[in-house]
Amino acid sequence: MKRSIFVVMLLLSVFIRTGFAEDKELRIFIWSEYMDERKFSADFKKDTGINVKIDVYENNEDMLAKLQAGGVNQYDIIVPSDYIMSTLLAQKLIRPLDQTKIPNLKNVSPQFRNTPYDPGNKYTAPWQWGSVGLMYNKNKVSAEAVKSWSVIFDPSKQAGTFWLMDSVRDTMNLALLYLGYDMNSTKPQEIKKAAEMIIAAKNSRNCRGFKPGVGGKNDVDAGAAAMAIVYNGDAMRAVMNDPKRLGFVIPKEGGEIWVDLMAIPAHAPHVDAAHKWINWILDPKRGAMLSNYNRYATPNQASLPYIIAKDKKLDEIYPGPDTMKRLHFTQDLGSANRLVDEAWTKIKSH
Amino acid sequence: MKNKQILWRGEMTTKATLFRKGLAFLSGGISWLLIFLILPGLLFVGVSFATRGDHGELLWKFTIENYERLMGFSLFGWTPDYLIILWRSVEVAFVTTLVSVILSYPLSFFIASRPAKSRYVWLTLVIVPFWTNMVIRTYAWFYLLSPELPLAKLAIALGFIPEGTPLYPNAIAVYLGMVSVFLPFVTLPLYSSVEKLDWSLVEAAQDLYSSKFRVFRQAILPQTAPGLSVGIILTFVPAMGTFVVPDLLGGAKYMLVGNLIQQQFGSSRDWPFGAAVSLGLMILTMISLQIYSRKGKEIEIL
Amino acid sequence: MRNCHPIIKILALFTVWFLYLPLMGVAVCSVNSARDGWVWKGFTLDWYVKLFDNEWILNSALNTLILAVVSTAIATVLGTVLAIGISRFPWGRKTNSFLNMMLNIPVVIPDIIMAGSLVVVFGILREVSSMFDMGMIDMIIGHVTFQIAFVALVVRSRLALIGQDVEEAGRDLFASNWYLMRKVMLPLMMPGIVAGAMLAFTLSLDDFVLSFFLSGPDSQTLPLYIYAAVRRGVTPQIHALSTLIVLVTVVLVVGAERLSKKEVA
Repeated sequence: MKRSIFVVMLLLSVFIRTGFAEDKELRIFIWSEYMDERKFSADFKKDTGINVKIDVYENNEDMLAKLQAGGVNQYDIIVPSDYIMSTLLAQKLIRPLDQTKIPNLKNVSPQFRNTPYDPGNKYTAPWQWGSVGLMYNKNKVSAEAVKSWSVIFDPSKQAGTFWLMDSVRDTMNLALLYLGYDMNSTKPQEIKKAAEMIIAAKNSRNCRGFKPGVGGKNDVDAGAAAMAIVYNGDAMRAVMNDPKRLGFVIPKEGGEIWVDLMAIPAHAPHVDAAHKWINWILDPKRGAMLSNYNRYATPNQASLPYIIAKDKKLDEIYPGPDTMKRLHFTQDLGSANRLVDEAWTKIKSH
Repeated sequence: MKNKQILWRGEMTTKATLFRKGLAFLSGGISWLLIFLILPGLLFVGVSFATRGDHGELLWKFTIENYERLMGFSLFGWTPDYLIILWRSVEVAFVTTLVSVILSYPLSFFIASRPAKSRYVWLTLVIVPFWTNMVIRTYAWFYLLSPELPLAKLAIALGFIPEGTPLYPNAIAVYLGMVSVFLPFVTLPLYSSVEKLDWSLVEAAQDLYSSKFRVFRQAILPQTAPGLSVGIILTFVPAMGTFVVPDLLGGAKYMLVGNLIQQQFGSSRDWPFGAAVSLGLMILTMISLQIYSRKGKEIEIL
Repeated sequence: MRNCHPIIKILALFTVWFLYLPLMGVAVCSVNSARDGWVWKGFTLDWYVKLFDNEWILNSALNTLILAVVSTAIATVLGTVLAIGISRFPWGRKTNSFLNMMLNIPVVIPDIIMAGSLVVVFGILREVSSMFDMGMIDMIIGHVTFQIAFVALVVRSRLALIGQDVEEAGRDLFASNWYLMRKVMLPLMMPGIVAGAMLAFTLSLDDFVLSFFLSGPDSQTLPLYIYAAVRRGVTPQIHALSTLIVLVTVVLVVGAERLSKKEVA
């Protein structure tokens, strides 16, 4: 008898946890290590009384997969990259913003207000922007060698062990750039050549495999690899701690520039809380706190005065005009998305 | 006559009543299995003939493209990649099972030879890893394969891997991980058979045959066959579909079919292709079971 | 008790050592004060202390436990009833082989296939009711599905052991079926039911794939947490967590063995 009561209580507790949607809750689905999760959750709770629950992912496609499998009803805020917007819109996975609830939108720098992927901020507000480049251990790899992506993609020039990034577009982009093609090429021949080159690089002794997002950075920091393809902010957090040993660079063939955005999934359970969050992040001091923590560039011009002065001068975080020429935005490829996805499966399988 | 009274297990009842009662007992479990196992399985087959939209969504449009791709006819020309992965998974599962069996016999004999009290201790020693989640048992190899420890140092000295790198991700690491994960799956069922071994038969065989191998084959193997069968099935099939071990210890350098399927349900967002590969795996599983049951006896799991 | 050939002894001991090698490595790392790298820097219990501060870990642990207990409870009941239904009634040959097949499928099917098909099915069921959103309920359903088969198989073999005579004899003593069940059959089946439940519990704790495919926000379990953390970069905290889990497992195993000894006696 006692056993069955216990079981019933447990079942009830399951339903209570899963059943009722608390009004004072916000569910965020975001890249890992992208903000000071503890501090921001605590601060947001203090400012608005809303509980923050955070789930993390390591790349856009994983996030999309989760959304398409049902996450669209469960998360309130997602942080997609610019090129994913067309998929999100085509699949009706996000809802338009109620701009009356986000007065701080006025703080956003003009170049982020009318973008090709979301004109007029109908669906998104910018979160951070940055680049994809090469992080390296200065003791093992020379500054000369990392001037070109050949240090990764050319087996004869690999200067040490490295990780490729476990992210379809980020890695494919760099391969295409290295081969001299348009980063957003839709030509099957070019995609095929890029895939084959990545496969050759992957199968070399020096390649340790694929690691998502921050994984490569953590490994170079721990000394387990000499180089990795990483996002600039992640790299800079480690580099600034140990500038003599670690470095970050955008090689001459070029790199990727991206903008990450805040969006609200189509059937988010706490829409109001989501809007409050977006507005809260766009506050000038809060935006600066964010960027000063994760070392990415802020799209919020009202935050600029509060950013660490040294960071503003760093080319790695706020690229100068020369570097900007080498950086390209990722575009959605429409029906050619299929080609790239299949190439990626081929790369992983071969 | 339909409602003839019959005697069933000491009770006078009719066939119809028995049928009703039996059905009542079965209904709960069988309905559950039908709804959550059989039905999804059929749907899954259907999905394997569906199309993947441009943005990763599922379109109910009939196509055999996914199977074509599995056979190698991809958008980039013919490639044996996926067939290689399927084959590699069978290979890994086979080797893992074989090594596990080879190691499990001595272990079972040893435990069976212990006095009754300490047997429990040894069994507990085997059960604890069995109950520990395989994620833990797998990632634990990261440390053992690190450059500071002898295993990796040996490989570096032999020139297999560059200086200062750990002995993963690669095939060796995957095999090590697989054996260490699946070993208890063979040992425990095998032990239950070994425990019941009639040693007098073994001794008789030892008198008859001079070669140890023949003693094993004639006296030990047949008696331990039931436990061995269970162990082999519980290891070989799951091993073919594992993705945690090859994912953590193989990276993308040694991909098995489990990883391929997981990728299609994850970042590649290609459910139809994932379903097609899964069905490929299922067919392989059935073939292996058929081959096994042909050579062995009827398979009784527990 | 027999004498063991020395080679067999050596192989056996090597195998046990091999099984524990990874776990011991992790245990050593968990008390090493070095943050990363594999050099020994000094003994510390810091990493363990930090665990209890970490809300995510505590949450995951709770979820793992709830998942295992609830799914085991449901599966044990359904599986036991199913086993009774299969073995106590005179089904025809065709029905018998059908039932046999139904029980064997969850056991032999690679769990990734089961997971994939459940993802598809829940995707469709979700249109009907949001109860099937990715999360604890989906995970429980997934676990119960394979657990039922295991429980049923174990209980069925126990029933086969008991045999028919006891039932017939019991019927001479007791008038109603219900009484027979409670006073005679259930006590006799208990060791089988307990064994089945323990097996189901283990399988739930051990599972990774089903949870991976079916989890939603707020339903992360320990294996999922460890997997995600390990992919980003192993920290000593994870080592501490793993060692702790192994220690808890030892307690559970010993406890379970005591329990089954009592039932058999």
